[in-house]
Amino acid sequence: MFKTLRHLLLGGTAIALSAGAAHAQTPGPAGTAAGTPIVNQAKATYSVNGTPATVDSNRTEFLVDRKVDFTVVAQTATTQVNLGQREAVLTFTVTNHTNSRQDFLLDPDQQNLPLGILPGIPGSDDFDVTNMRAFVDDGDGVYDADDTRTWLDEMEPDETRTVFIVADIPATGTPTLAHVSLHVIAAEGDAKGTQGTALIQTSLGAANRDDQVDIVFADNDSDGLALGDLPRNGQARVYAAYELGNRTPGLSVLKSSRIVSDGVNTVNMRALPGAVVEYCLLVSNANLLTPATNVVLTDKLPGKTTYVPGSIKVGGTCLLGGEAQDDDADDANDGKLFGGSYDTATRTVSATLPSVTGPVPVAAVFRVTID
Amino acid sequence: MRHLALLVLAAPIATAVAAAPPARPLDLSTRVLAEVRERAADGTTRIALAAPTRVVPGDRVTVMLDYRNTGTAPIADLVLANPLPAGMAYRGPAATGPAPEVSVDGRRYAPLAQLTLALPGGGSRAAAAADVTHVRWRLARPLAPGTGGTLAFTATIR
Repeated sequence: MFKTLRHLLLGGTAIALSAGAAHAQTPGPAGTAAGTPIVNQAKATYSVNGTPATVDSNRTEFLVDRKVDFTVVAQTATTQVNLGQREAVLTFTVTNHTNSRQDFLLDPDQQNLPLGILPGIPGSDDFDVTNMRAFVDDGDGVYDADDTRTWLDEMEPDETRTVFIVADIPATGTPTLAHVSLHVIAAEGDAKGTQGTALIQTSLGAANRDDQVDIVFADNDSDGLALGDLPRNGQARVYAAYELGNRTPGLSVLKSSRIVSDGVNTVNMRALPGAVVEYCLLVSNANLLTPATNVVLTDKLPGKTTYVPGSIKVGGTCLLGGEAQDDDADDANDGKLFGGSYDTATRTVSATLPSVTGPVPVAAVFRVTID
Repeated sequence: MRHLALLVLAAPIATAVAAAPPARPLDLSTRVLAEVRERAADGTTRIALAAPTRVVPGDRVTVMLDYRNTGTAPIADLVLANPLPAGMAYRGPAATGPAPEVSVDGRRYAPLAQLTLALPGGGSRAAAAADVTHVRWRLARPLAPGTGGTLAFTATIR
């Protein structure tokens, strides 16, 4: 028993040690750093005429080359701006996947393509911004006066930084979209505070040596179109747009009523005393692009009528009514998407709608009896 | 009496080893070659092995061990071992030749499927190719003078 335990403990220690060593040499996703020598040496044990001996092989060594790879992502495809807005900001992130420290040059430019073919961006470009510049974030994720550096300096492998395009919007006209792109170019690192020169891939035909670090471009075609970027060119181009447009929901309410029963007739019912009348409030949003949120409808009951308890239905059409609501003011207790209540003191019906999108009108219905 | 016999036996062997030229009868050398895609005339690509002049993380390499008996006596009990270099992850045996025994701790060697790795929080998991830290080959038969061979495994640059 003791022997087994000791054996286990010894085995455990050995495994833990080797696991620790393996962990220490495991690089990040960018891989083994460029310039790292990889040295191999084998060993043989043997015996000749019963005499044991060992021999080491030669040491073979080569250097890991530099695999230049990085990604640029626009945080939002379109950003809402106003006419005459100064220093309107678009946000991008740049991630260095290269197995070495790199600078990246930033080159913002306008795109004037008439068709909406740019990936991720709706519509056609119809205006240009002015005074466009690119700045590197100082770490707080927000563009402010501290962000003055115009290139990415000394990015470590697997590091991500935020970059802004800053531009002024024209004050007049009826424009809608300005397409811009952030063009990023991998550059030489290793000089802090100095903008490196753009990298040039080591020629495939060059007489390469094992003991020199080659530059190998491994970046993809960032727009997937071979339009503004090509695979393996050490560059990336990502698109985004400034958008001007009506962003106010156009809400309107249409009120209608119908007599559900009058106690006498089954067709052509009349507004007799005791008749039940159903009112409908139909909410529409004329702006298809912008949903109206947290819409609250209130309606005071006309005189000489009495509310029919439990008759509020919200979220459907005038005829079908929608979700039945209870009459108390607490909308959280009924597990319904919509809210509805009746206040006996003020004789007011309320309905709450979380969102009214453009294409679909939403109804709130309730019933009263004529006194 | 017994001690004397041992001495008598040992003395001629020592002399024979010292006299046998060269002193190290086993010539062992290693090469690392990079896998590169070559485009053939018919448009297809094939994998070729080339000097590791351009190797980046993720690239595949083949590690080769060339051995030869340059002595005059057969070499017995030959074990060829290769610790995985830092920056290289084991991938598998080469396309040709015998598969090596592998180890994840440098102590216990077995086929990869039989190896496990202890987890930091207790328990263990099956070892993956990337966990291998050592490979070795054991030659079953003595290596006759003047003969040799090549053994190889493939790896990925981490």
